[in-house]
Amino acid sequence: MASGLLLNRGVLTLGIHCQRVCRNVSVSQVREKKRWMKSYTHLMAKKLKLEGPPAPKPRSLQPHWDFHAEVQSFSSRLQENFSLEALKRAFINPCYLQAEQERRRALGLDSETTALALKDNIQLSEKGEGFTKSFLSDWCMANFPRLRREGVESVVAHLTSSPVVTYVARNLGIEDLTMSAECPVPDDVLYSTFMAVIGALEESSGAEQTGLFLRDFVSSQLIGKDLFDMWTVVDPMGLLVEELTQRNLPLPEPRLVRAAGASTVLPLFFVGLYSDKKFLAQGPGETLVAAEEEAARVALRKLYGYTENHRPFNFSPLQPHQQPLIQAVSSN
Amino acid sequence: MTSRGTPSRFLQSVLQNGVGRYVCQLKRLSIIFSKNAQSSLGIRGFIEEGVVDYAKYNPSTVVYVSPQPCRIPKIVAEYLNGNVREEIVTGKTSIQISEVLTKLTNQSGLDIIRLRKPFHTDNPSIQGQWHPFTNRPPCIGPIRPQKQDAEQGLSNI
Repeated sequence: MASGLLLNRGVLTLGIHCQRVCRNVSVSQVREKKRWMKSYTHLMAKKLKLEGPPAPKPRSLQPHWDFHAEVQSFSSRLQENFSLEALKRAFINPCYLQAEQERRRALGLDSETTALALKDNIQLSEKGEGFTKSFLSDWCMANFPRLRREGVESVVAHLTSSPVVTYVARNLGIEDLTMSAECPVPDDVLYSTFMAVIGALEESSGAEQTGLFLRDFVSSQLIGKDLFDMWTVVDPMGLLVEELTQRNLPLPEPRLVRAAGASTVLPLFFVGLYSDKKFLAQGPGETLVAAEEEAARVALRKLYGYTENHRPFNFSPLQPHQQPLIQAVSSN
Repeated sequence: MTSRGTPSRFLQSVLQNGVGRYVCQLKRLSIIFSKNAQSSLGIRGFIEEGVVDYAKYNPSTVVYVSPQPCRIPKIVAEYLNGNVREEIVTGKTSIQISEVLTKLTNQSGLDIIRLRKPFHTDNPSIQGQWHPFTNRPPCIGPIRPQKQDAEQGLSNI
């Protein structure tokens, strides 16, 4: 190739960048069929197969990135008034600060003149996490007033669990803005960044707006979820007996209601639970024991008001003359 | 290809968008065009007159304008769920390009493949899903003492 130039063969044809070593040599362009193209592409494909795909680069290191504009658009996309400095602080993770300082030390920069003047997001993250858990518990108790404490705790634990929170964070574009040491951003770093964003929102707009934000993005993940997916109950019948004794109702009696194919490979039994000869719930199962357990679960769902056809959650925007969020919900 | 050979998905929204508040799913637009080529004429016109208004009306989308030596002008749209879509706007006029941008703004980032059903619901049944035992009278009646008439009926025969 032309001397004085570190030229990648694919420059003009494939558009891959070249590094210039010396500027006075011109590049000659071949417009006809290139005889080296086939072997070059085969070699590159072999290299890709050997080494695997290239490591993912964070979005901030790819072309077309303006951090300030991205943060502003993040704030207006969610229709929230963030204070930009609190929000920018929320995206800075301690692992990023450590990695940056290591890099500066490795480059031989004087640590006093080039000190990083950035604060990390640990405090914001803790504040946000505390607020999230308390708000979600209040919201659950307001929407399901008859659900007992362990149920509420399990639902809140599910909503604040790492998979759910990181799923929400990834689909809100927080991963691009997060400054972390590794790419792709690990789950726990993304979790603490999301909580820090909640903390920043609380600082900027107050508790009520943050509550609305959490309701719209985190509580909506409950749509389509069943109670016993989130709350593992080992003995539903025992729990049902406890609930009924608490409400001073007679104990449940199981009765076989329907049976089909008892001697086949796929038998079906419906067991109904009656409390003082009044129908509570019925549930299906392959064996009598399984059907009774399922009937107990259905009865518990009915008791707690967490059925599939319960009244939908209230996601309407808060009007200025309306009561605050939790009270309005509990008046339903 | 048949629908079985091509990918398909169910109707869904990203993160239950619209249930709480509506979030515009387009997060970034990169407009790549050439300063001199004739294929980018429309896009140059759009950048002169329309792009600033577009950016003002959509504060939730960041617009990057990047003149590069290129033969085909492109608009690269990045969505919140991570999908990236490239639209080639060679030879389009300014008005056509603004229509393309409206289309990209209104899309969620989900794949443009066959939708299996044009509807979706999280509450398929209000009164309870029908199963073959619904509304079926029980075959065994309630337990009662045997009737005295049965003995008289037998003696008659």
